[in-house]
Amino acid sequence: MNPHLVFHDVTKRFGAVQVVATPFNLQIARNEFVVFLGPSGCGKTTLMRMIGGLDKPSTGEIRLDGKPVGGPDRRRGMVFQSYSSFPWLTVAQNVAFGMRYRTDLTEAEKEVRCERYLDLVGLYEFADAFPNRVSGGMRQRLAIARTLAAGSEVLLMDEPFGALDAQRRELLQMELRRIQRRDTKTIVFVTHDVEEAVFLADRVVVFSKRPASIMAEIDVAARLGEDRTLAMRDGADFFALRNEVLRLVRASAGDEP
Amino acid sequence: MTADEVLRGEGSEAVSPRRDAKAKVPAERFDPRDLVRLRAPLPRRVTVAIALGTSIAVLAFWEAIAAAGWLNPKFLPAPSVVMSAMFHMFATQNLAWNAWVSILRVWSAFLLAAVMAIPIGMLMSGYRGFGAALEPIVDFIRYLPVPAIVPLSIIWFGVGEETKIFLLWLGTFFQLVLLVSDDMRRVPHEYIEIAYTIGARPWNVMKDVAFRAMLPGLLDNLRITLGWCWTYLIVAEIVAADSGLGFVIWAARRYMKTPEVMAGVVLIGIIGLATDQILRAVHRRAFRYL
Repeated sequence: MNPHLVFHDVTKRFGAVQVVATPFNLQIARNEFVVFLGPSGCGKTTLMRMIGGLDKPSTGEIRLDGKPVGGPDRRRGMVFQSYSSFPWLTVAQNVAFGMRYRTDLTEAEKEVRCERYLDLVGLYEFADAFPNRVSGGMRQRLAIARTLAAGSEVLLMDEPFGALDAQRRELLQMELRRIQRRDTKTIVFVTHDVEEAVFLADRVVVFSKRPASIMAEIDVAARLGEDRTLAMRDGADFFALRNEVLRLVRASAGDEP
Repeated sequence: MTADEVLRGEGSEAVSPRRDAKAKVPAERFDPRDLVRLRAPLPRRVTVAIALGTSIAVLAFWEAIAAAGWLNPKFLPAPSVVMSAMFHMFATQNLAWNAWVSILRVWSAFLLAAVMAIPIGMLMSGYRGFGAALEPIVDFIRYLPVPAIVPLSIIWFGVGEETKIFLLWLGTFFQLVLLVSDDMRRVPHEYIEIAYTIGARPWNVMKDVAFRAMLPGLLDNLRITLGWCWTYLIVAEIVAADSGLGFVIWAARRYMKTPEVMAGVVLIGIIGLATDQILRAVHRRAFRYL
């Protein structure tokens, strides 16, 4: 099967700063959950933004279904850590906003989809609340629902759970994994949290310090399987894998002698 | 129904349980120590009482020292004298009509300035090239004192309505453009990028996201700029007018009718205060999500 997303010899510089120096190559399969893990400021976010068309590669290209991507569009949706929803719209209106520029759906279809995704992320009861009246975790789920309603095939998530407390984070990670299985999406998720990376990913890509290059790739799905449960989080397999990845991250940050 | 009642009545259905609960709580207890505690919240009734109390106290003090004969009424007449002058002017000198003329001038120039400044300001910060092209010109004109342009304006437009509208527009448009551009710049970039990744075109992004996101700040800036409009209005009406509050004030000065001068000034203050309160109420009502 052809890969869904391909980085082909991508480099990136911002002025004098070389963010990605050596040509970056990576293939991501359809419905794969890939986590970019690396030290802050290593360029992983820039690489993800390039998938979304929000930054342009300096050289090389990114292909979606074999075609080079240009500017941003609805096929690749973005979930940010902050300012992830529009404060002037209610929860339901925010989800519906994801479909605002779709001409292929009737109003009735949009309504059905809106309800479906509200339900999927567990925000049905909060449909009429404004985002500042719900918790940070709910706002992140809202952003996910909006992106799904928009019909994006690829979800790009930039440390979406970064500002949440540990408990909520764990719940959302479970939910995201469940949503991805049910709604079959390709997800690229950026984080610097090792445990989060291992728990969520089918595959973890560990980055070096800037300029970004791949230090290691870990096939988590092969080691832990596709279903993730809270119980698994306390198991020996998860723990061993987490430590393994942690050592790689330390090495990439150059902390280990 | 006051603005607050409107707010509460409408808010309780639409908003979450938390706000509902808040609306049912009886009036908060007022601890006088909160008056001297930094940033301590005050119950609304206390704030209103302080605001009204201070104003009434100042007026009463003024009235009292005038009654005691400590003030020369030619320079500072008592509030009661000013008020009766105002009623007299309403009854015999078409004060209401003059006020209406001034209000119309202020609002037409202000709306003209706003309608031009909002798109231009948004484009200036949305498109760097556009901003780079206009910023030096705007900054230059912004620093020109409006009274200095009066002679030029009279040469260009004569002494009719055009001159007044032009002067008011000149005083507000160039300030407003920069304020709008700044409001637009403060719209979080995430909002713009979210819009693009759900398929919005640049025009949609401007209209549905950037404009909507900056609206609360924009309304505040409009409210403040509207106040400046009154300053320039009086300048324009004193120099070249046969109607409006500026004209009334200036004509009364010619005969040293201090109570009438002050009545005109007070009326401007009252109009300003009322407009400001209305716009604040609109702000509270329209931006409940804040």
